Amino acid sequence: MPTVATPSTERTARLKNRCRFKHVAGGEYVHAGVKAGVERARLITESHKKNIGNPNCIIRARGLANILDNITIHIQDDELIVGANTEHPDYFPMYPELSYFATVDMVESHYCDHQEEMREISEYWRPYTIQTKAEKYFTPEELGIMYSATIVQPPMFVTAFSSIVPTYEAVLEDGLIKRIEDVEQKIADANASLRESPWNAQDKLGLLDKIDQWEAMVIAMKAVVGWAQRHARLAKIMAENFLADPKRKEELLEISDICRNVPAYPARGLKDAMQSKWFTYLLCHSVERYSSGYGQKEDKMLWPYYKKSVLDQTDQVMTYADAVELFECERLKVSEHGSTKGRQLREFFAGSNDLFILTLGGTNADGTDGSNECTNAILEAAANIVTTEPSIGFRWNENGNVETKKKVFECIKKGFGFPSIKNDEMNTQQLVKYFNVPLDVARDWALVLCMSPGITGRRGTQKTRSEGGSDVYPAKVMEIALTNGFDEFFSNVQLGPETGDGANFKSFDEVWNAVKAQIRSAIELSLRSKDVGRIMELTHLCCPFISAIDDGCVEKGMDANALAEVANPWHNIIGGSVVVIDSMTAIKKLVFEDKKYTMAELMDALRNNWEGKEEMRLDFWNAPKFGNDDPYADELATKYYDLIADEWKRNTTYSGTYPLPLAQSVAGYIVNGPKTAATANGRHAGEALDDGGSSPYMGCDKNGPTAVLKSVSKIDASKHKGVLLNQRLSTVLMNSDAGFDLWHAYMKTWHSLGIDHVQFNVISQEDMKAAQIEPEKYTDTLVRIAGYSAKFIDLARYSQDTIIARTEQDMAG
Amino acid sequence: MAKCEKCTFFFPIPEEDMDFEPDKGDCVRQQEDTKGKFWLSRPVFRSTEACEHLSVQTS
Ligand code: SF4
Repeated sequence: MPTVATPSTERTARLKNRCRFKHVAGGEYVHAGVKAGVERARLITESHKKNIGNPNCIIRARGLANILDNITIHIQDDELIVGANTEHPDYFPMYPELSYFATVDMVESHYCDHQEEMREISEYWRPYTIQTKAEKYFTPEELGIMYSATIVQPPMFVTAFSSIVPTYEAVLEDGLIKRIEDVEQKIADANASLRESPWNAQDKLGLLDKIDQWEAMVIAMKAVVGWAQRHARLAKIMAENFLADPKRKEELLEISDICRNVPAYPARGLKDAMQSKWFTYLLCHSVERYSSGYGQKEDKMLWPYYKKSVLDQTDQVMTYADAVELFECERLKVSEHGSTKGRQLREFFAGSNDLFILTLGGTNADGTDGSNECTNAILEAAANIVTTEPSIGFRWNENGNVETKKKVFECIKKGFGFPSIKNDEMNTQQLVKYFNVPLDVARDWALVLCMSPGITGRRGTQKTRSEGGSDVYPAKVMEIALTNGFDEFFSNVQLGPETGDGANFKSFDEVWNAVKAQIRSAIELSLRSKDVGRIMELTHLCCPFISAIDDGCVEKGMDANALAEVANPWHNIIGGSVVVIDSMTAIKKLVFEDKKYTMAELMDALRNNWEGKEEMRLDFWNAPKFGNDDPYADELATKYYDLIADEWKRNTTYSGTYPLPLAQSVAGYIVNGPKTAATANGRHAGEALDDGGSSPYMGCDKNGPTAVLKSVSKIDASKHKGVLLNQRLSTVLMNSDAGFDLWHAYMKTWHSLGIDHVQFNVISQEDMKAAQIEPEKYTDTLVRIAGYSAKFIDLARYSQDTIIARTEQDMAG
Repeated sequence: MAKCEKCTFFFPIPEEDMDFEPDKGDCVRQQEDTKGKFWLSRPVFRSTEACEHLSVQTS
């Protein structure tokens, strides 16, 4: 049966019905009318021309101020939360200051109606982009490897992809006016200090840059207050001049009052907090620069305001049902939010408009249960409104209350694919052990994007994705390990060191060492591109607003890109890990132990896509596979995941520590499949890879869900920032009377085995096939890709088929 | 040429607001498409040349 949304009020039903979704499918926006907005690009360019010669932080602050003072703002009918990133509700913004390639990709598309002007703008920015600034530190060959998106993701200075966890709490608790006063006091103190006797250059000269940074913060914060006031005026003008309905007039006057109060002053109750949080989100993720994500521990952050408004009824009084409606409005607001990305990333997020993941559950700073009534209201809103965004990460703690876990189950049962679930105790301990985070701070972690935990709060959160988040594509890495580092299948480029032709390998160690050498090379290239990008960001892409709301940046007078107060580097190994494990297992067994085939025969078969070798292919396909609690395959898996962790650990990043790996996929398993030749697990060239960091290859987990968990539990997850596991569960069982008890028992097993992560698809084969035939009846049917969810009907047929091919697990089995 | 100051869609910015400038105002207009109604606001000045949407109060 198709999934049916049940919005809790007529308002959210109307908003859902007319939601201006900005999902992409096959790299294109699904809904007609979605366009590239030009105002942000125009205004930042105008300001840049006037301010060249100033310190970068001042240029950037004035650029932001010019955008906020002049961009067209809008409020839509029925909205309770207002504000957007562009001049029109159907548009997404452009960022010519980031990447020349990404801008040109968009300017030359049919989404851009101002091509002549935008061509001029992108050419103007070309010498100033972080792309141009960073490229000179790489050889043409290195750039060619990265731009081919074969073994590593293209660098951040080309994709312009970033992610951030804004320090929302500082805005909600202080308000910007107080922070402006604090920063102005710092400028005054610094100026006084410069004039102290005797003169000491060593002590004083560092203040010059700090004064610039602080002045930039003040410019940015004042502009933000002014921008909120513009929304306050618009709401009031609408109420007084355009609308007749007294109820809506009253709402708009209240919205006006809220926008006058926040983010200028502390939030008084839940309405203020939601609006202040939304403005802050827009600024940090979309106006000052582009950053993906929705990183926040929402229930913890909003709890004081929820308590005031709903429980204590002392300010902005509302009921539980009102709060649920507000959270439904938030989900729709996120669903309308447009992001611009180059084609490679649009394809990577098939069926989604961007990655938005908030975090719930876990513990409070004092170790008590972090789930509260606000958690339940957020989950209930998600269950009602049925949108792919924002996805939810739930921190599963043994001591978490069962009522909230039932709400988590309700969302999963409906087939949303979220909440995805992370092991709370394990991830908290990792922050303490590897990154020296105090326990009480570590307990407030949230996912910084899909899978990686990072701290939340008033300081030290992740400000840029150059902190981590590079991608290495392991299946392709293994392919070139067998072809002397040369990509014979897709790009015809030497992608890695010359490690020999697999046909000549005489021992399994030779295979292993070639893979290791190629992984090492790919890791080092991607890390170097991240850290070079970081230097470009802090030199040429200061973020004065993001800095202004971080207590550490204010205290130290530093730009947020520069200050790595809490190191948290992690890097992704994207889709294909299990293809590598299964392939190595098959080679070890069939070539070097059973000696049924030679490496020369295998290489010949792989180079010819198993043509004429079906019997041989089936031998490799039927070799031991990860995910069946088979010690033979699992031992190699354990060794592989340890290798990955050790290889990253050899390096030190900008933040001064070694990164941890994170095995996951997004839609990389779909996008990278066609670029990858036939593999020794019996897979044909071009077919999809494994769908997650440790998900068994499609159809290869034959021994039931507990066997999958046992295989995955053999990976030492404490060495990884995350190891994604996708599981498909039976719709019949999940919807049965025993559904929750069975799932709860499964989750207890998962937790007791010390596994890092799990997420579920609960959708029947029949429904997916019916949706392929009559998509119009399945507009609210969601599925989990890996790391995010998407509307099933927005996926390409190839992607849909990869979900259908996943093994459906019977928990009662 | 008519100026924005004559337009019913022109609303002066209060002096206490951060983006206040003498003669600066908000041009606020209603729009509607298949997805519903929305209201746009952008800054103009009294002396800005009126656009094709100029609406002059007749009373
Ligand atoms: S820009 Fe046009 S609609 Fe706006 S105030 Fe001026 S004349 Fe009126």
